[in-house]
Amino acid sequence: MKLLRGFLWLLVFQLFGHAIVELLSLPVSHALAGLLLLLTWLLARRRLNESVATASQALIPLLAMLIMPGVVGVFFVIDEFAGHWTAIMLALVVGTFLSVLTTLWLMRRFMPREATDSDTRGRQG
Amino acid sequence: MSELHASLLDSPILAAALTLAAYLGGVRLFERLGRPSWCPAVLIGAVLTAASLWLLRYEYVDYRRNVAWLTLLLGPATVALAVPLYQQRHHIFALWRPILCCVPLAAALAALYAVLIAWLLGAPPMVLASLAPKSVTAPIAMGINEQIGGSLSLMLGGLLITGVMSTIFVSLLAKWLRIDDKRLLGFALGVNGHAIGIVRAFELGPTAGAFASLGMSLTGIFTAVLLPLVWRLFG
Repeated sequence: MKLLRGFLWLLVFQLFGHAIVELLSLPVSHALAGLLLLLTWLLARRRLNESVATASQALIPLLAMLIMPGVVGVFFVIDEFAGHWTAIMLALVVGTFLSVLTTLWLMRRFMPREATDSDTRGRQG
Repeated sequence: MSELHASLLDSPILAAALTLAAYLGGVRLFERLGRPSWCPAVLIGAVLTAASLWLLRYEYVDYRRNVAWLTLLLGPATVALAVPLYQQRHHIFALWRPILCCVPLAAALAALYAVLIAWLLGAPPMVLASLAPKSVTAPIAMGINEQIGGSLSLMLGGLLITGVMSTIFVSLLAKWLRIDDKRLLGFALGVNGHAIGIVRAFELGPTAGAFASLGMSLTGIFTAVLLPLVWRLFG
């Protein structure tokens, strides 16, 4: 029952998300709006109720399986994008290389060093 | 006989059974191969599904229509991602400054590099729209795709390749840049490689895993809010 109750909560938040997105004609998906609303609600209440935790633990591992039918489609669009595959592959491979490089550089630049505080305090003391 | 074949192919139950069987088969094979990061379970599952569709002479559009009720669960599963995000709030609160600097830039560049390269090579707008959400976790990327109008299949294929490439490049560049901070590596894996990066991050340890989930969620949220707006402005 806990699972069902939690699932109902998730559905209700998705419906709220749906309503807000449609009312304000926001350019985000209903589910993402639901995610943000649920997160806000959790942060405001500062308590995770057990049924929501149970339902999310049950659903999140299913994500990979749920997107698989969509992934299969890539084998059926190979002809549709014929002539663009070089551009697509280069964009994906080179683009990912560059974005990983930038992220690592940015993070090293802005992230405080791990345990730096305790190190310096140790040295000073 | 052909009538039975037709009525089976028309059944949502067969589509669901096929999907579950292919996915479980994919997970099984993935484990057997020693969990290779270059070949995620969902890719093996997708190949198995495609092969069975071909063997059964099952049209992809019909399969998609029949399996739609199952994939409806993607909605509540996306909403459920709020829970791990809430559970990691102490990381966000402790490091909100660097996170606030890095996530918007890193997420924007992840999309921009790919779109720019494809655009320079003459790819049409449909392809650009499918590549833009390439670093976003699939359930959120599917929402973005709906908004900006790319090809769902191409987008998901690109997502898979991006995830795999991110895990390869993060380990290569970490060596090259001599970075061994687990928080940093995890974050880079999540921001660039979504769920596939997270799997790799958890192999590095729980801290890397937590930071990867955080990076993935924030990138997803940021991109989902901003990309459709940018697309509307320039489109």
